[in-house]
Amino acid sequence: MVETLLLVGVVASVFVGFNIGGSSTGIAWGPAVGAGLLRKTTAAGLMTFFVFLGGWTVGQNVMETLSAGIIHIEISLAAGVAVLFFIGMGILVANVFGVPVPTSMTTVGAIAGLGLATDTLNFETIGWIVSWWVVTPIIGFWIGATIGRYVYPELNRRFEITSTEGPLLVFFPADSRLPIGFGPNTTTQEIAGTIVVFVIGCYMAFSAGASNVPNAVAPLVSSGALEPNTAIVVATLAIGLGGFTIARRTMESVGSELSDIPLLAALIVMITASTITTTLSWMGIPISLVMSSVMTIVGLGWGRATRPITAREAIRGSSDAEIAMGALTAEPDAPVTEIGAEESEAALDAGDLFNPRAVIKYVSMWIVGPSMSTLLAYGFFNVVFLVG
Amino acid sequence: MISRVLVPMDGSDMSEQALTYALEAYPDAEITVLHVVGEPSPLWGKATGLALADDLEGTAQEHAQPTFDRARELVANADSDADVETVVKLGHPVRAILNRADDYETIVVGAHGGSVSDRLFVGNVADKIVRQSPVPVVVVR
Repeated sequence: MVETLLLVGVVASVFVGFNIGGSSTGIAWGPAVGAGLLRKTTAAGLMTFFVFLGGWTVGQNVMETLSAGIIHIEISLAAGVAVLFFIGMGILVANVFGVPVPTSMTTVGAIAGLGLATDTLNFETIGWIVSWWVVTPIIGFWIGATIGRYVYPELNRRFEITSTEGPLLVFFPADSRLPIGFGPNTTTQEIAGTIVVFVIGCYMAFSAGASNVPNAVAPLVSSGALEPNTAIVVATLAIGLGGFTIARRTMESVGSELSDIPLLAALIVMITASTITTTLSWMGIPISLVMSSVMTIVGLGWGRATRPITAREAIRGSSDAEIAMGALTAEPDAPVTEIGAEESEAALDAGDLFNPRAVIKYVSMWIVGPSMSTLLAYGFFNVVFLVG
Repeated sequence: MISRVLVPMDGSDMSEQALTYALEAYPDAEITVLHVVGEPSPLWGKATGLALADDLEGTAQEHAQPTFDRARELVANADSDADVETVVKLGHPVRAILNRADDYETIVVGAHGGSVSDRLFVGNVADKIVRQSPVPVVVVR
């Protein structure tokens, strides 16, 4: 009986890890693969290695929080399996509807639901976690906005990450005795750019491991059904499996959306999001990579969109943004499409891109997701414990 | 007689049908094809990509080009004297459409466009236009 239950639990774990692998590989390596700097298989291999590293080191702190911090008692094997099903359900909803439901939040929500139902919820820990969930997106947005407004234009002038025709490196080139050499068109800048993208991808994979490995296995670790180290290996393998299989698709979908952003901006987002995620994971706070990523992206875009107004004016709100935007961006001979009549349009206002209501609607999904997971788990465990 | 018609196009088949219908129904009208770029998306990549572009106008035009090309084909195929101009706008489609609605006598929209996730982030555009537009709306399906 226990073996069967454990087997079901591991299968559920693998399902969760597999999906985490799919989505986080997309975020970590989408830009690099999209820019043609790396093959998908290489990306998946690197992902697996650095996820393991992140899970093994910093991830232990999150594992501790999830398996022993949120509720006073240990999560029994049966309850752990049920919690994993709720996490899996959240992922399924996210995949089917294309909504970013942060897995860490669903996990905490489901465990908290169990805690509420059994009256063992550690309110102090949950309050601590939730307050970080509130602060984190604000930090991400603020960093993004500051960089977007004051630093990005300068960075953009200085750095250009390019990919030239032909391979980056050639093995056993004819004109050299060294076994490896630069490709025919490879420039030093290209090499440097590729190394940067590569290192940042590894960093993001590390932070994904630190924050996400515990989600897949912590419910089974709590009761001692799985040893923490075994659990980390199981989660890594599952995430790797996802990285090698479904991530091919997510690297394209996520990658294509991230490739709407210039590569330099994507790298800034990745560094910021990884640093936030790694730091919080180190503190033992379960956090999702996607949450800090998205808010940094929005911040970057918003900061840049509002750039022509000086910060002082933006705070006072006294400047006419539309006129300022037009002066900067409207080119006298910008290509005007015409089918019949000439287009006579006022300049576009970049501020329209970040309608506050649209952003709030988006962020509200982060509140709805974990709340649903808490309520469902609470209802479920209530019924189970009433019957049992 | 209807003389000024707004046709928002998102590039979907349904929006193409809307334009075809508008060309047939209002053959002498001035038709404005409106395309909105940089709409909310799961990672906000579209909006941020535009915000970071060096040349906002140019990049927005570039994104809108395939839709406008398609519109031009439809106009060429239709036997119509309609005057057609194209306009590109940024951000939330519903807001962009409603902001201009007052300048027109009729809006012709396709019943629906994108996927489930688009609906979640943007909502059903036609639905919202019908409910909030100050001018009559024709929904084409």
